[in-house]
Amino acid sequence: MTNFWLFIPEFTITALAFGVIGADLFLARENKKYLPWISSIGLIVVLGIALNYLLGKQENLYGGLFLIDDFSMFFKVFFLILGLLVVLISSEYVKNHIKHPGEYYGILIFSILAMMLMAASGELLTAYISLELLSFCLYVLVASGRYGEKSTEAGVKYILLGAVASAFMLYGISQIYGLVGTTKFADMNLVLVAENSSALDLGLIMGIVFIIGGLAFKIAAVPFHMWAPDVYEGAPTPITAYLAVGSKAAAFALILRMMSSGFISIMEDWQMVIIVIAALTMTLGNLVALAQNNIKRLLAYSSIGHVGYLLMGVVAMTPLAFDGIMLHLVGYGVTNLACFMCIIMLYNSTGRDDVAGYAGLADRSPFLAMSMAVALFSLAGLPFFAGFTTKFYLFTAVANEGLIWLVGLAILNSLISLYYYLMVIKSMYIDPSEDTTVLVFSRYSLSVLGILVVFIFLVGVYPGPLVELIQEASQSLFSYIP
Amino acid sequence: MSLVHFQILSAALFSIGLYGVLARRSAVLILLSIELMLNAVNINLIAFSAYTESLASTGQVIAIFVITVAAAEVGLALAIIINLFRSKGSVDIDKIDVMRW
Repeated sequence: MTNFWLFIPEFTITALAFGVIGADLFLARENKKYLPWISSIGLIVVLGIALNYLLGKQENLYGGLFLIDDFSMFFKVFFLILGLLVVLISSEYVKNHIKHPGEYYGILIFSILAMMLMAASGELLTAYISLELLSFCLYVLVASGRYGEKSTEAGVKYILLGAVASAFMLYGISQIYGLVGTTKFADMNLVLVAENSSALDLGLIMGIVFIIGGLAFKIAAVPFHMWAPDVYEGAPTPITAYLAVGSKAAAFALILRMMSSGFISIMEDWQMVIIVIAALTMTLGNLVALAQNNIKRLLAYSSIGHVGYLLMGVVAMTPLAFDGIMLHLVGYGVTNLACFMCIIMLYNSTGRDDVAGYAGLADRSPFLAMSMAVALFSLAGLPFFAGFTTKFYLFTAVANEGLIWLVGLAILNSLISLYYYLMVIKSMYIDPSEDTTVLVFSRYSLSVLGILVVFIFLVGVYPGPLVELIQEASQSLFSYIP
Repeated sequence: MSLVHFQILSAALFSIGLYGVLARRSAVLILLSIELMLNAVNINLIAFSAYTESLASTGQVIAIFVITVAAAEVGLALAIIINLFRSKGSVDIDKIDVMRW
């Protein structure tokens, strides 16, 4: 008998999404401003329910299609909090720039559901369906910008390329299903261990490569990254933040689970592919970022660089490296949200999102300039900020596995990235501005930004409790391996 | 007819679809080519599950899911392409070049 109580957070969040879309139908136009509050209170309730019913459970649903363990629990909580923060940073932007707030928040909540399912899936088909649910939500959100040639263009590029990538991934899944004989990660591992893995079937290798390709598209790793800058630039800015953090974290949750519990016994066969992708991704991402003059595009390339760092952890394949990946995802997530909050606030009041628009910001709004500087320093990985702690943890874990040259390359890339982050900071603090009016922001957006900046320092200075949670999560992931 | 024949058919169909995606300039035709790729996957899945005793019928179940997802995908993509047509008056993907690296 399936214990449906294990599914209660997913049920409630689905109800919440329908509730928000339904409420949009009945609310009068002047009352639509309550939609973000309904969404955020609902998400807090779902978070409470998840913590109440599922904390510390290690079970599975539908014979292993969904796995409830500390790993999926960690990501569920992460995604719910992330969703809450994205709703908070969206609310002012949506008021000014989005025509249909109800659909916006409803679909955003559906995509949180999809990410939760992705982190919990223990089987290829489930993983594929939840990945597609996430992608569909994001296609709509990306194309939902109001004034936009750019938004539509980004949507078309994203959906056409995304559909090709998912066709590749699906072809890989069909190969694996046919040749291994199962789609469950745990059973796949058993079959692969039993077979003589030194003589792998060519079709099987093709299957794995295709799946890696499909997922590499989702995280925007290098040969499959071309969509990212365009989509990041064209999408509504809160959605850009969400794409950079959420869809990446969800794809990484799936990659970690699949690689560690499905393909770990044939690690030698796919390790080299990921090493090459990781090295290319971080180098190209950081080098091309040097030439950007739109801030959203610059952050798109910087996020490609960060994917390279995270992929190093996948190569290392140890519990410590997985801790590093999860920690870096959290640190990077908080930092990126703070960064995009600054971009949204500036865009709302001046309509600028090019780097030149940041000139003299320190005089026009010292707090905004300071927050942006903190976020950029954290992305570059300077001490006391979240970025340093998480990068340090991740790089150490990878270096422990003997991949010294790769870590060296990553550190070199961090130095390169410091250059283009400092260019923005120089523009804010040193360059004179043509317009010197003082910018005034609402108390609401200032306090959201303040909270995010506090989080950056918190993760950077006192990561202890977070690291403990993450260690439990990665232990539960490795407990499936016999 | 053996399993290999079906696999070759599926691989060929997939490649033709991929060629279509790379060569066509109209967004709608690219979408059709993507459908071809997904149908190649369906052939692969159904052939595997029909020819292999131990696989039971999981492959057919997956194929049904894939058909459903593909239908949803087309609906969504066409909606976005219509939106593109309204703002540009064309669905030629060479003309969507507002953003470049």
